[in-house]
Amino acid sequence: MKNISKSFYGNKVNTDVEFKLEKGEIHALLGENGAGKTTLMNMLTGVYFPDEGEIYFKGKKLAFKFPGEALQIGIGMVHQRFSLVGNLTVLENLILGHPENKFIINIPEKKKLIKTYMDQFNFQIDLNAIVGELPIGLRQKVEILKMLVREVDVLIVDEPTTVLTKQEADNLMQILKNIAKTGKGIIFITHKMSEVFQIADKITVLRKGIKISTVNKNDTNPRELAKMMVGKESEITFDRPKVNTIPDVVKVQDLFVNSDKGVLAVNSLSFNVAGGEIIGIAGVSGNGQVELADALTGNRDIIRGKIFFKGKDISNDCPVDRIDKGVSYVPGDRINVGVAGSRSVWENIIMKVYRLPEFKKGLLLNNKKLREYADKIIEKYNISLPGINLPALLLSGGNLQKLIIGREMERDCDLYVFVYPTRGLDVGATDFVRNAILQLRNLGKAIILISGDFDEIFGLSDRIAVMYEGQFTGIFNNGDHSLEEIGLMMSGQSEEEVAKEMTNV
Amino acid sequence: MFKIKLEQKERVSKREDIIITLSAIVIALVLSGIFIAFNGVNPFVALWKVFTSALGSPYGISETLVKAIPLIFTGLAVGIALNSKLWNIGAEGQLFAGATLATAFVIYGPVLPKPLELTVLVTLGAIGGALWAAIPALLKIKFKMNEVISTLLLNYVAINIADYFLFGPWKGKDNFPYTPEFPTEAKLSRIGFGRVHSGLIIALVLVILLYILIYHTKAGFKLRMTGSSLKAAKYAGINIKKTMFMVFLLSGALAGLAGVCQITGIEYKLHQHISTGYGYTGIIVAWLARTNPFIIVIFAVFLSIMLKGADSLQIAMRLPAAVGTVMQALILFAILGSELFKTYNVKLIRGK
Repeated sequence: MKNISKSFYGNKVNTDVEFKLEKGEIHALLGENGAGKTTLMNMLTGVYFPDEGEIYFKGKKLAFKFPGEALQIGIGMVHQRFSLVGNLTVLENLILGHPENKFIINIPEKKKLIKTYMDQFNFQIDLNAIVGELPIGLRQKVEILKMLVREVDVLIVDEPTTVLTKQEADNLMQILKNIAKTGKGIIFITHKMSEVFQIADKITVLRKGIKISTVNKNDTNPRELAKMMVGKESEITFDRPKVNTIPDVVKVQDLFVNSDKGVLAVNSLSFNVAGGEIIGIAGVSGNGQVELADALTGNRDIIRGKIFFKGKDISNDCPVDRIDKGVSYVPGDRINVGVAGSRSVWENIIMKVYRLPEFKKGLLLNNKKLREYADKIIEKYNISLPGINLPALLLSGGNLQKLIIGREMERDCDLYVFVYPTRGLDVGATDFVRNAILQLRNLGKAIILISGDFDEIFGLSDRIAVMYEGQFTGIFNNGDHSLEEIGLMMSGQSEEEVAKEMTNV
Repeated sequence: MFKIKLEQKERVSKREDIIITLSAIVIALVLSGIFIAFNGVNPFVALWKVFTSALGSPYGISETLVKAIPLIFTGLAVGIALNSKLWNIGAEGQLFAGATLATAFVIYGPVLPKPLELTVLVTLGAIGGALWAAIPALLKIKFKMNEVISTLLLNYVAINIADYFLFGPWKGKDNFPYTPEFPTEAKLSRIGFGRVHSGLIIALVLVILLYILIYHTKAGFKLRMTGSSLKAAKYAGINIKKTMFMVFLLSGALAGLAGVCQITGIEYKLHQHISTGYGYTGIIVAWLARTNPFIIVIFAVFLSIMLKGADSLQIAMRLPAAVGTVMQALILFAILGSELFKTYNVKLIRGK
């Protein structure tokens, strides 16, 4: 790709970018959110046209006429949001849309062909499973397998590990390495440093749409790359001063909660959270963390058990009662739950306070005052946005999260539940969110932090709980156990078993 | 050969939105013209006739307004539901339900002094429509039944119930399926402009009230949030089931008002043709107006021009009655098609 430039509505997303991929190489494309990584790749796959510059593939200049063409000549991309048909089986998804499909499809033959690919790259997927019922890690594998079946020469994976657990991610990297060994080129888009060193041969760093540099992995180090990525060296240190805690702000007793599919997701959990304490809940995603958060905040019915908040039983309170009593929730699904995307920014900011008497004007709402309130939050939390009356979904991920956190912090609650609060955010926004959480703790609030990011868990938590299949395999003070030990608990071993194992070694 | 390339647009400006909608209407009129030409009539003359017959004389204007009244009600009915992303395809049935319940009072109830009688009738009309809408609402909330299907099917049930009474207990003396003419106490006053009756005033007052409800009250905020995202609304502490139920009741009540205003304002009796598909045309009105009550009035008038115009085409130019329906359909198609231009940049590129 030579001298590629692309703008959207006058904003330059890529400026004069050059990018080269060799056969059999894993090339990491590193940069913060909004650095223009995905846009660049969308041009390589024909989704967008570059405004300037040229793209060559195997020595030939490319000019795509429609997005599917890239796939036909052997450039395949696995997007962050998968393009699979949820109602069909894995096999059907793999066959669907294959250019060699005739009117009648010889399914057994296809199946055999697909099996050879699976064996070659060591995929373990049940071909007859319905895609919609697969965990997200497996769905991703189906996407990759789909590209392999199409015999692509270039495979682009866009931040593939954001939705995966550590184990799943490691497994994915191994598969990608195997694929590269067969001579295919892989472009790995990411903003995670550790992954770059785990997998890449070469690294290209983008910042604000400009290519900063391309380096060999062996010639560089994380500090140098981080410098290139953020422009300045970022050193995140967390200062957790001692605060006076208020005991038992939250008391959970023998809680049972079902998942959406009616399967038991939270299985007999009991724990307490004090005010001025952050309890970090670690665990492989899908072990009941989100269901627990939903149940605590009233967004999901509980089956059995009790939740006490400031001494009062709130187990059967509806969300609005808990909001009024001072329970705050920053959900993991920002776009679908945290905001009503098609409604305006200001409406989303006021959606938990509009009922308060201070915003009443007779029988009506005082819209002027509500907007002023929204303006105040936008300014205070430094949310940059295209317009207060425009839909919230136009905000970037970081600013959307700032909106949600600003909205919640301003309400002065006593319990804050955060679910994956920094997932997919860039360094700046991540810093902002983590500092906000700490600030709340220092104010004496009870905080439940569900996260998949160990830096976050270790950096912020006072206590850490490890969740596995709806239960805590361990709950202990931060610092009592090493990452390795927590990893074992995440895979289902109890604290005692882990302790035994560690002494045996 | 040319190929069409679509690129996602980020957003559309208000101006662009209006231009695209207006172009769609113009295209629909052009297509209607072609259709009319195939029927051997000069399309320019015919379209001219449509507008002059509807707007060219005080009589035409008043008749257009008469048709606009039920369309404002049904447009509001469908529109309010669309605000919270509920599809009420059942305005036609709710219209009949309201009209039937009000007629029952005229037939079985005492004749009250005029203001009281009319207040009771209008209230019963709204209640009838609301009750009829409560059925699909409960089915949706309790059993997750798709409201598009249930509201649509219930139209036929409501119309057949009305038919039962018209062919049965309420049959006129001459054995035709209509009720006896209502007493003067049960007739809405005219406002002194042709057959235009005070239903228009009720409709316009409701437009203002609904605007305030949607944009300036807590209930309206809940309704808007529910329409944008169920999960987010629930998260914000909104009881989405209750909100949906109330929206359905309100929607049905508005459609019921269309029915009661037809029988007390124009027809002075209940019969099978009190509505010429106003419940369905209301869907087009609401979709064109994008749920804003004031704009609903504009499009209700626009579509009644089409209806009135088509009537006179049928009489003056001997065109088939279907011309009106075809024009409506073309407008809706064009508008739906124009959505494409609002969400995508459409480019023609030269292919091989």
